[in-house]
Amino acid sequence: MGTAASYSRSVQGLSRCADRSPRVYYSSMWLIFLLLALVIAARPARALAQIEITWSPTMVRGHSTAPVTIVEFSDYQ
Amino acid sequence: MVQRSLAQVLREYDGRVRLVFKDRPLAMHTLARPAHEAARCAGAVGKYWPYHDRLFEAQPRFRRGDLLAYAGELGLDTDAFARCLDERRFAADVERDIDQAQALGINSTPTFLINGQRVVGATSVDEFRAAIDRALQERR
Repeated sequence: MGTAASYSRSVQGLSRCADRSPRVYYSSMWLIFLLLALVIAARPARALAQIEITWSPTMVRGHSTAPVTIVEFSDYQ
Repeated sequence: MVQRSLAQVLREYDGRVRLVFKDRPLAMHTLARPAHEAARCAGAVGKYWPYHDRLFEAQPRFRRGDLLAYAGELGLDTDAFARCLDERRFAADVERDIDQAQALGINSTPTFLINGQRVVGATSVDEFRAAIDRALQERR
């Protein structure tokens, strides 16, 4: 009995989607993709803008004018 | 192993590469945080790097007595060092490094940023060379 009831609801759901205009369906999909893309694009930019790495001069090895800086995040243990 | 690789590339690229050490003690390593604070206590009296190297050699023997013994080996005033350690004088500085690491999503160690380029894990000399050469080329 339970299986039959579930099946019936599922068919009803599918037929509702099928009734929707394809243009409306695709334009909502594009809107969702666009919003997702905007969120993904905005995240790293915000992260870079906000995170500043500072360090103590005593914890630096090498010349201060060196063109390459290796920042090591490490755990002694 | 990684420390040896780093030492080698610093020698090879002398003047072109500098190394910045940031504290990232992991929560599961209960003895790590005092060790990081101890290294900063040594740094306050001009012995950061010798103490840092000693800690990596002694890993994972980081009980209070061990940390004081390493300070003694390096000729530091152990009473003053013990006060620095017990007062947790550099706890906030270590915490600031952890906050920065977490903000960058750095949750495993070691993690390296080579001119911003992320390299994670036990890194060989060749891998360091490749990343450094790339960074040097990008600067030209």
